[in-house]
Amino acid sequence: MSVVSELRGMGGKKRGKRQPSAMRKGDGKAAAIFLAPWFIGLFLITAGPMIASAYLSFTDYSLLAPPEWIGFDNYTRMFEDPRLINSLKVTFLYVFISVPLQLAMALALALVLDRGLRGLPIYRSIYYLPSLLGGSVAIALLWRQVFGADGLVNSVLSVFGIEGEGWVSHPDYALGTLMVLNVWTFGAPMIIFLAGLRQIPQMYYEAASIDGAGKWRQFRSVTIPLLTPIIFFNLILQLIGAFQTFTQAYVVSGGTGGPADSTMFYTLYLYQKGFASLDMGYASAMAWLLLAIIAGMTAVNFLASKYWVFYND
Amino acid sequence: MITSMRKRTMWRAGAVLAAGALALAACSSDSGSDDPSDEPTDGGTDSGSGEQVEIRFSWWGSDERHTLTQEVIDLFMEENPDISVVADFTDWGGYWDKLATTVAGGDTPDVMTQEERYLTDYANRGVVADMSTLDIDTSMIDPSVLQSGTIGGQLAGIATGINAYAIVADPQMFEDAGVEMPDDTTWTWDDFKEIAAQISDALGDGVYGVQDYGGNEAGFNIYARQQGESLYTEDGTLGYSDETLAQWWQDLVDLRESGAMPDGARSVEIAEGGPEQSLLGTNTGAMGMWWTNQLGAISSAAGRDLVLLRLPGESEHERTGMYFKPAMFYSISAETEHPEAAAKFVDFLVNSPEAGALILSDRGLNINTAVREAVSGQLDPLEVQAAEFLAELESEIVDGPPAPPTGAADVPEITGRINQEVLFDTMSPADAAAQFTSEAGAAIGQ
Repeated sequence: MSVVSELRGMGGKKRGKRQPSAMRKGDGKAAAIFLAPWFIGLFLITAGPMIASAYLSFTDYSLLAPPEWIGFDNYTRMFEDPRLINSLKVTFLYVFISVPLQLAMALALALVLDRGLRGLPIYRSIYYLPSLLGGSVAIALLWRQVFGADGLVNSVLSVFGIEGEGWVSHPDYALGTLMVLNVWTFGAPMIIFLAGLRQIPQMYYEAASIDGAGKWRQFRSVTIPLLTPIIFFNLILQLIGAFQTFTQAYVVSGGTGGPADSTMFYTLYLYQKGFASLDMGYASAMAWLLLAIIAGMTAVNFLASKYWVFYND
Repeated sequence: MITSMRKRTMWRAGAVLAAGALALAACSSDSGSDDPSDEPTDGGTDSGSGEQVEIRFSWWGSDERHTLTQEVIDLFMEENPDISVVADFTDWGGYWDKLATTVAGGDTPDVMTQEERYLTDYANRGVVADMSTLDIDTSMIDPSVLQSGTIGGQLAGIATGINAYAIVADPQMFEDAGVEMPDDTTWTWDDFKEIAAQISDALGDGVYGVQDYGGNEAGFNIYARQQGESLYTEDGTLGYSDETLAQWWQDLVDLRESGAMPDGARSVEIAEGGPEQSLLGTNTGAMGMWWTNQLGAISSAAGRDLVLLRLPGESEHERTGMYFKPAMFYSISAETEHPEAAAKFVDFLVNSPEAGALILSDRGLNINTAVREAVSGQLDPLEVQAAEFLAELESEIVDGPPAPPTGAADVPEITGRINQEVLFDTMSPADAAAQFTSEAGAAIGQ
């Protein structure tokens, strides 16, 4: 049924006596129509490819010829692949260092901005900006320049008489520059923290100060406990995002994961396996391992949350 | 039967989606080429041959190549109003991802550009047609060059032109350093190391004798061939000894430690910058190893004319190692709906002097000897230098290396990565050689 006839039908019934129930019926269909794009998207763009990749993960598939069923071979191969192990190390290192730092940064800035500065919306927007840009190719390219041998960082260092390295092209520092990039995009969690801080009733702080609690004590005993659901929420979101880091690593390393595999993130290795080595079956299996890892990490977090997240209700 | 059909449809559907996503990301010109290709209805079909057909031609490259290729396409469509050619181009990095995905999606370009390391994979999997069965005139092509595109007895690709891997040197830099230009027919690898060190010593900080060249296996192939070995054998296995490869990387370590070559971080950064950021391109180095068709790009970055030299060691051992490499290939999809139109287009690209006059040496020195003659007057001085350099080599080359085996497409990545391990001293040359042999061997299924 077309949208036009649907609307016409609704208009026609409006004049009738059974108006309320007709409206309800029409609402259901209208809802279905409005939801359709989302459902189509879900099935075609998310569920369809997921099912295909689940199937492909059990095949030897070069993209150029039809896939051949090989059972669990791709999965067993993963445990003997030193480069995959290395990519897991790189990714975990990145997640465990940059996510806590990013959240700490976001919380610190949120606390400063929550003091009711004049021009707060402007500051908020400025600090949020990197979050909008962080995953983009343009920023990754900029990062390459800033941390290059003749880049901004080394120009600043040279003022102090320090001769810097080519940060993005040295295996000891390249991953560090990507961590800095991630920490720099603290804007999104910061906005959420700000909203969370606004939710904390002022009376708790008044009560605490009457009891003689200083600023630090108030922060530790009032702010943090009441903010734990927000911290938890941000942690889960950022964790999942960090595990899926791709664009920054791809652009900064020129798609190689170099130098010497030091920025070979899991997703980058997956991409290389699938599209450069034409081993799409293996890449699909890797995608499912990543899903399992992220699901596992999230589950652990939910279990652990019982011990530290405080719901004030 | 039915289930296999279903499976096929399913994976195809997934691949089509992936292809769609890639197509969105890539800078395809499908819309850009609308103007010439959508016109033919206005009387274009009156040529008598009946139906209007559309074929797609894919290639990689620079903006310059895109412009001149579009001119070639326009010329072809003028002469063949019943065929419209849609341009489909990306840069080198995105090309292979996109091509593989479109093949998986059942949407292979009718005519595609190929490269030797990939062609074997595509031929062995039946993606490209046997062009010897199509109506393409190959009589003016050197048989040995034509052979390079023959895989498993089928003509999988027709070479566009030839290149050689060579030393590019900056005579100005040699003069500034007070070092004489070497005689490249006799210089040894030790001479090369010494000259590079002399230049960096003479010119001081920030200027080097040579740029890191360990990341391209072509150089090693020449080095191995000079000693009677080779990167790959005819049987599709690795054909060198680990000692030879270790010595190759040891030379690079020596160069770096003597200051003749930049340190690891600097080398990695320079390598990623292509010709524009190269030592030669920025006037901060005297030598580098490049393909002969890159001479123009590096010279224009340098702002002065550079010269081509043979790699060192050509007369040091029992034989020479330099060889001609087909720059690229034209291939036709095995599943194209219009094999005649595709063949006609490839025939035009390969045999038409007008097309040759537009392409010049952008796709390597033209392999069609008649076209090469016809356009020789239009080459610029650098292209003439490259053409003469290749002509001189012709008599010295012992044989062409065998076509890289299936899986060789992984080897450039492996070479680049292990070279970085050597650059940062995280692997000794001997360990690097063993690691390379193990990984490259696995890639080609040895």
